[in-house]
Amino acid sequence: MTVAPLLELDAVRIRYQGGGRATPDGVSLDIRPGEVVLVLGPSGCGKSTLALALDGLVPHAIAAELDGTVHVAGADTRERSVAELSEHVAMVFQDPDAQIVTGTLLDEVAFGPENRLVPAAEVLERAERALKLVGLWDRRADNPDVLSGGGRQRLAIACALALASPVLVLDEPTANLDPAGIDEVYAVLRELANERDHAIVLIEHNLDAAVDIVDRVLVLDAAGRLVIDGPVRDVLRGRAGELLELGVWLPVSTLAAMRLRAAGVPIDPLPLTPAELAAALEAIETLPAPAPDPASVPAASAPAVTVRGCSVRRGGRRGPVVVNEVDLDVASGDFLAVIGTNGAGKTTLLQAIAGVLPAPQGTVDVLGMDPSRADARDRAGRIGFVFQNPEHQFVAHTVADELDLGLRLQGVAEPERRDEVERMLRRFDLAEHADRHPFLLSGGQKRRLSVGTALVAGAPVLALDEPTFGQDRARAAELLDILRALNEEGTTVLVVTHDLQLVADYASRVAVMQDGRLLGVGPTAEVLAGPLIEAAGLRHPPLARATRSLVRHPEWQSVTRMSQLPGRTAA
Amino acid sequence: MSTASATTVARNPYAEQTPAPPARFLHGLNPIAKLAAPLPVMIALLVTRGVAIPLAFTVLAVALLLIGARLSGRAIAVLLIATPVGVALLGLSLGVWVDPSRVDAASAAASVVLVEIGDWRFTLGAYLIGLATALRIAAILMLSLIAGLTTTGPELVRAAVQNLRVPYRIGYTALAALRFVPRFGHELEVIRAAHRVRGTDGGRGPVAAVRRTIGYAIPLLASAIRHAERVALAMDARAFGAHPTRTERTISRWRPRDTVFVLCFWFISAAIFAWALAAGAR
Repeated sequence: MTVAPLLELDAVRIRYQGGGRATPDGVSLDIRPGEVVLVLGPSGCGKSTLALALDGLVPHAIAAELDGTVHVAGADTRERSVAELSEHVAMVFQDPDAQIVTGTLLDEVAFGPENRLVPAAEVLERAERALKLVGLWDRRADNPDVLSGGGRQRLAIACALALASPVLVLDEPTANLDPAGIDEVYAVLRELANERDHAIVLIEHNLDAAVDIVDRVLVLDAAGRLVIDGPVRDVLRGRAGELLELGVWLPVSTLAAMRLRAAGVPIDPLPLTPAELAAALEAIETLPAPAPDPASVPAASAPAVTVRGCSVRRGGRRGPVVVNEVDLDVASGDFLAVIGTNGAGKTTLLQAIAGVLPAPQGTVDVLGMDPSRADARDRAGRIGFVFQNPEHQFVAHTVADELDLGLRLQGVAEPERRDEVERMLRRFDLAEHADRHPFLLSGGQKRRLSVGTALVAGAPVLALDEPTFGQDRARAAELLDILRALNEEGTTVLVVTHDLQLVADYASRVAVMQDGRLLGVGPTAEVLAGPLIEAAGLRHPPLARATRSLVRHPEWQSVTRMSQLPGRTAA
Repeated sequence: MSTASATTVARNPYAEQTPAPPARFLHGLNPIAKLAAPLPVMIALLVTRGVAIPLAFTVLAVALLLIGARLSGRAIAVLLIATPVGVALLGLSLGVWVDPSRVDAASAAASVVLVEIGDWRFTLGAYLIGLATALRIAAILMLSLIAGLTTTGPELVRAAVQNLRVPYRIGYTALAALRFVPRFGHELEVIRAAHRVRGTDGGRGPVAAVRRTIGYAIPLLASAIRHAERVALAMDARAFGAHPTRTERTISRWRPRDTVFVLCFWFISAAIFAWALAAGAR
């Protein structure tokens, strides 16, 4: 390649003011026109910070020290303002809500070019082109609020395109989206990648979505050093083991193939997508029988939660019916996942079960208690609720107080309380943070504490609303391992989630909702292999997508979770 | 994502209005004109007494709205029915609390007793004082609705930036901040639910209420600051503040009809004051 690089990074180290070590640490690389680059790394490795340095937000808008140099189109970012740099690099951030300034889609897309004094006629031309590319031109007069999450993120991409910059940097653009939104955004990104008009730098942990549109992968290690830089297929196939050791998540299909390899199934090269995995499996004459599905709930256990004819309206008596005549039984010791598209009523149902929202009298029973009539003390003793954002749940000034509060509510005496708090702090690996303010914890610690506060009163049922939302896979797995451990000790777990592969790997039963109605409940493998997923407008998780079309190995068609594959986990 | 589904917007405060028929002339005026015309009157109303002047301006403002603004049936009903009823009731409750020494004992109205309970008398004079206050409030409210019911947020910001030379950074930041309001409403709802679940919303009386409010404020502030920082970064990344001016796709003009509207309004207002003062009202 002889084309001049659009971005040149030389020995870039960034340290936040008051922060500890520098991440990224000594990163040097070039980005050339038309390249589609994926940046990977474990959480805390400085991927997002690196993205912010590409258009000068570090060091201009964020209090951080930048060592080394970043050149954008030949100019040092230190000597150019963020506004000047925006002519060369456009950004799309993680949270679609935090990128909207104006009141209509058209105004929003015009906002950037207007700031740069582009003549009005050209602003309109660019806005039209950008909105048409993301498929939102017909909705240009709408308020961005009425778009779905995926729609708003497509709008953010259109806004970046309207700046007419040759480089597009996207920082975890799908982390806050449901699967439908992720598909929408990737459909747009795929088109952009094919056009080759832009260099695209993509920071993403959802490799299953990203892998087939990128050319090149950069990998940072936990210390923020650039350890791998190469073509996507070579890196993911050739150095998969190394990536796993670094704490980088791989595509589910790759992980599955690695596990099969370890069990003696000859798969070469490693597949990156479900289609490739399916093709690889079809090419093999005889496969070992899949392991039996171990997740079967001990039969005839007493019900922990019973829901009968439950309907809930949002926003008062005249509000829309969000949960419609739902009947649901959750056996004691179950790990139930509630799935469905946005607006299917999952969260509302969960909140009604936990007594966060009032359900009609007598429609919900949790271990003999009607949560809409019980007081906070009775409720906390039977069912704990964990909100999507852990910060919403914190009410005390130290981590220890946060746990203590739940025990005080139950009227536990002082010495026992101290012991119990101590025990919970150790259990959730928070002992050294006992006296810190909950808001000063890291994301993963906050999440663990919020689970702890819901459990401290001894509730045998735990309900969690999208506990993995906006987190990377490593943190999500950490949390789900905690939930699995609790579940094995006998806690009944109810979780609302969008991540169907996590559902496949952890839940024992799945409830599928659509438009406020419960379409069906059943054992995880049955539901994921059956027609309910498509009926609810969802997509099968990656492993199920690979296996359900297998012709040569019919006994593999119902394999949906990693633990069903022969052999041990690859990691 | 629950945030997306919960923020349903009842009325879109940003939407460009479809062109109003020419008879609804208020929509075609510059927002600055609609603010500048009634502003001196609103200030003057603060120092008036008596019923006549605020009554005249309430009628004037309502008439302007009925003629010049495109109103829904419900808005018309509120203007024509709820306003007089509200004024009468507010006048009554204000009148009950009027200090009897403020009632001019020499006036005829002071001797007309409407209600008498034991020693306490509610006189016509007291009611008229209360009514005057209620009418002043109503008049100021109705005058502010002249701009309020016929202007969108972006129109106002455009006019302020282009005609009043308000720095666009302030104007557009204010517009961005408007977006925060429904978001925080929803967030507060979630936080209150969380506190209810944690059992920390117990207790009655002002002390518990203050403690509760502080409990809500911390998570709300933390998320507000984080959100504001993110919005600011996103705006920076899109070259906000790059130049002293920015491209305006829609020009907000000050037309002759704006001048005519303001002058006519001022002339009529002055006439009302002159007439009322001459007639003895203060």
